[in-house]
Amino acid sequence: MDNDDRELIANLKHESKRDLAFQGLVNKYQERLYWHIRKIVINHEDADDVLQNTFIKVWGNVSNFREESSLYTWLYRIATNESLTFISSKKRRSFMPMNDVSEYLMNNLTSDPYFEGDEIQLKLQKAILRLPEKQRLVFNMKYFEEMKYEDMSKVLDTSVGALKASFHHAVKKVEEYLKNTD
Amino acid sequence: MDKLKNIVPELSKIKKENPYGVPDKYFDDFYARLQTKIDAEKRLVPRQQNRTIRFLKPIIGLAASFALIFMLVYWPLKIFMPNQLANNTEILDKNDVDYLSIVEGIDEDSFYTLLDEPSNSVDFSNEDLMSYVSTNVSEYEIYLATNY
Repeated sequence: MDNDDRELIANLKHESKRDLAFQGLVNKYQERLYWHIRKIVINHEDADDVLQNTFIKVWGNVSNFREESSLYTWLYRIATNESLTFISSKKRRSFMPMNDVSEYLMNNLTSDPYFEGDEIQLKLQKAILRLPEKQRLVFNMKYFEEMKYEDMSKVLDTSVGALKASFHHAVKKVEEYLKNTD
Repeated sequence: MDKLKNIVPELSKIKKENPYGVPDKYFDDFYARLQTKIDAEKRLVPRQQNRTIRFLKPIIGLAASFALIFMLVYWPLKIFMPNQLANNTEILDKNDVDYLSIVEGIDEDSFYTLLDEPSNSVDFSNEDLMSYVSTNVSEYEIYLATNY
C-alpha cells in the first residue's frame, strides 16, 4: 500500500479528520471505480447508483479495514461485489433466466446514450457481453484496465492460475466472435 | 500483450480505448451528490437503544409469550368449560381425601410396620412360578414372548 493510502486510512479512522479524508478517497478513486463498474453494468445511471453504494459501503466499513490488502484492491472488491449484487437484484426483480442477463446488458449497451464508440467498438463490446460473467470480469480487468493477476486474485478471490485460464478462454471467444460475425 | 497479436489478430486490430462516456461534469459533482446520500443514510440509522432495554428485550418477549399462551389456552377453557375444570379438581380432591382417610384410619404402629415391610422382595419357589405361568399365560403368549 502506498503512503498516501496509508495516511488516508489512518485519517478515515480518526473521527475529526474523517470527512476530509473520505473526500480525498472519493476524489482519488471515483473515476477508476466508475469505469470498472460501468463495464459490468453498462448503463450510466446503474453505474452511478452502484458507485454511490460502493462509497457508502466504504464509509460504513472503513473502521473494519484491516490493511492486510491494499486500499485499491479492497475498493475494487467492494465495487465488483456491489455491481454483481446489482445485476442479481435486477435479474430477481424481473424474473430473468440466466441467459437473459446478457440480453439485458446488450439492451443497455445498444440503448446507451453515452456510448461514444464506433461500429467496431460496439462489436467488441457485444462480444464481451456474450462471455460468462467471470470471464467477462477477467477480460475487462486484464485487457482494458491492465490489472496484475495478483491484484485481480485478491479482488475476485480466485487463484492466479484460474484467472489466466479464464482470460485465455475469454480472448479466444472474443476473437471467434469478431472473426465470424459481420 | 504483443503475443496477443499473433493469437488474436482480429482483436488486436481494434484500438484499445474506452467507448463509454459520461454526462458533462459528472465526476465534478459526484462527491456532493454522494454526501447528500450519506447524510440521508445517517438520518435513517436508528438511535442506539438503551443497553438495559436491549438486554431485557428477549426476557420480556419470552414472558409476554407465556402470558399470551396462558390467556389463549386457560381463559377460554375457564370461560367455555367451567364444569369440566371443576370436575377435574373435584376428582383429584376426592382421591386425596380417600387416601388420607385410609392413612388416618391406621394406627401409628401398624403404619410404621407397613412402611418397614419389604414389599419388593417376595419369596416364591420355582414350582409357584410354574403354576402361576401355567394358569395365567397361554402357550401362544409364551411362544410370542420368547421369539421377540
